[in-house]
Amino acid sequence: MKMKAVVATVISLALTTVVIGNAYYQKKQFYPSVVYLTNSNPSMAVMYLQAFILVLLVGKILRKIFFGQLRPAEFEHLIERSWFAITETCLAFTVFRDDFNPKFIALFTLLLFLKAFHWLAEDRVDYMERSPVIGWLFHIRILSLLMLLAQADLYFIHHAYAFTATKGPSVQLVFGFEYSILIIMIVNILIKYLLHAIDSRWEAPWESKAAVLLYTELAINFLKVLLYVGFVAVMVRIYTLPLFAFRPMYETMRSFKKAYNDVVLSRRAIRNMNTLYPDATAAELAAADNECIICREEMHSGAKKLPCNHIFHAACLRLWFQRQQTCPTCRLNVLRAPAPEPANANAQAPPNAPHAPNANANANVPHAPPPPSAAAVPPPFPNMPPPPMMGWGLPPPPPRPAALASLSADELRRLEGTERRNVEARLQLLREIQAMLDASVLLMQQYSNVVANLPLNCNTVATQTDLNRTEPSPEASVKVKTEPDVVPTTSTYKPTPGPSTSRDDFTTDDADTTSPDSFRDSIDADAEELRRRRLQKFTTEK
Amino acid sequence: MMAGSALRRLMAEYKQLTVNPPEGIIAGPVNEENFFEWEALITGPEGTCFEGGIFPAKLVFPPDYPLSPPKMQFICEMFHPNIYADGRVCISILHAPGDDPMGYESSAERWSPVQSVEKILLSVVSMLAEPNDESGANVDAAKMWREDREQFNKIAERLVRKTLGLPPPE
Repeated sequence: MKMKAVVATVISLALTTVVIGNAYYQKKQFYPSVVYLTNSNPSMAVMYLQAFILVLLVGKILRKIFFGQLRPAEFEHLIERSWFAITETCLAFTVFRDDFNPKFIALFTLLLFLKAFHWLAEDRVDYMERSPVIGWLFHIRILSLLMLLAQADLYFIHHAYAFTATKGPSVQLVFGFEYSILIIMIVNILIKYLLHAIDSRWEAPWESKAAVLLYTELAINFLKVLLYVGFVAVMVRIYTLPLFAFRPMYETMRSFKKAYNDVVLSRRAIRNMNTLYPDATAAELAAADNECIICREEMHSGAKKLPCNHIFHAACLRLWFQRQQTCPTCRLNVLRAPAPEPANANAQAPPNAPHAPNANANANVPHAPPPPSAAAVPPPFPNMPPPPMMGWGLPPPPPRPAALASLSADELRRLEGTERRNVEARLQLLREIQAMLDASVLLMQQYSNVVANLPLNCNTVATQTDLNRTEPSPEASVKVKTEPDVVPTTSTYKPTPGPSTSRDDFTTDDADTTSPDSFRDSIDADAEELRRRRLQKFTTEK
Repeated sequence: MMAGSALRRLMAEYKQLTVNPPEGIIAGPVNEENFFEWEALITGPEGTCFEGGIFPAKLVFPPDYPLSPPKMQFICEMFHPNIYADGRVCISILHAPGDDPMGYESSAERWSPVQSVEKILLSVVSMLAEPNDESGANVDAAKMWREDREQFNKIAERLVRKTLGLPPPE
């Protein structure tokens, strides 16, 4: 890489010398030589090449001054963004093909050149957060670079404005707009830099920094969206659709939308947390080993309990809610979950311990009456908050059709006969029976879900302990259950089938088992049988 | 705040991994100056085509860890349906909910602060044992895994020997 660059520089220097020497040798004087050079296409090509290489060299020198060694990630990022920018510049050329001349190309090259430094500055400031040591050199470099870039941006904006005001719209519109975007970027970088710098000075944790960043993001993106919309409107009026601005515009709008959603949702989640969720009590804290699983540090006070009974530091939760509005442990969507009711807090398992909801559910299994014998079908686990993965809840118990013996003579008569009202009465009765059956099936599914969570404690496979240890979600259990399916060399086999499908065939297979233990045994036996059959099939196929 | 808490949590995890290491896995910061870059050695799971190999990988943590997942990349040659040609690992636990490069993962399997380095590495071990050929980070490897297992095993064996510094099999 280095070698190649040196060789290219030397070759281009040599070529330039030859070309200039040749011109001077032929014309003997300065002006005729210049005229000769500018009229000769091959000579001009060499000169352009030389100019290009000079620009690259200057870029390298400036990079060395302001950034030192680039990290591989920064370099990769730079290359990737450069390609996009170059493609878009070429698209822009097509709109302004009438103005096409060397000066125009030079201006665009300069724009690209400055853009590259903006990107690098952005990456470098983002790196501040991760870097363990930030020296004085870093601060001096970043600040001077930002000032220089801001100066350049302002100068070009001013120039574009003056040019457009005096001579009417031209390609300067594009430059004015591009440099405005860049100056916004500088402001954004500067704010981030100041935040990080302040943060690194303070010893104490600064909790509102993430929130400030979130709002900055929102404001900056809003400004950018305004600029893009304005620019596109102006371009459409004067020239044509600025295709080259569409990709960055789309990306800006997307990030604006994301920033907006983040702000709205996180605000709602944090408000919920502050107002609705109770502070964890000392007993609950002790049950969770006093450890906040987000930061892995001790919880003494300021811990909040989510509707799913998981406990975290309020500060950690706030940071997490700024990204995701779910419980970190069980992924319950806190915005959709009902507010917790203190009355329901009787049968609580250790809130942060693994399988907390399951433990809760298990305690209820023996007490829940089997559905067919019950007079009315009760909702199975009144104390359990709705499990996160079961989108479908249990409907209220349907009316139970009266036994034939208890029907009055009048009601019986209504069921007989062939008139319309007799048929209606019979249909009504049939519908009631169907509703009952549906309810039983749903209940059965609930049971099997609970039971499916049981084998977790003993069946965990070494390679999957990671997934199961703290995640009481049904997904984990589904994985264990489908383990026997994992037989090599099948083209149709799915490593992680969706929970719904596996849950279904699972329930139909074993719908008659009621005791969890025998249920588990039968699953194991079934799985063993299945594995054996499949292996047999494969060996015969081969 | 973030950098500080991320650092403390990484230190806690490092301690935990050192005191109580999971079987077949070694992990820790490349140097103690920078806790945001780790190196890990993963032993190929027994009974699979990667058995016996010792695969080095590097983990890069974001400044807001554990709110965002780290990135993981094998630094040896790998041939696996869920590992990109450049060594980056593509498993759902390493993706933040919201970004889904392959468009098939449910958010329940994604990153959350409850996850940890240990869990990631264990997931990677289980990924080595059971590739998910639906998410083709390496399409060639996924195809070969499905259609020509013998060839796949051969390549795996070569890689295993390579990580051990042995000459390729005859």
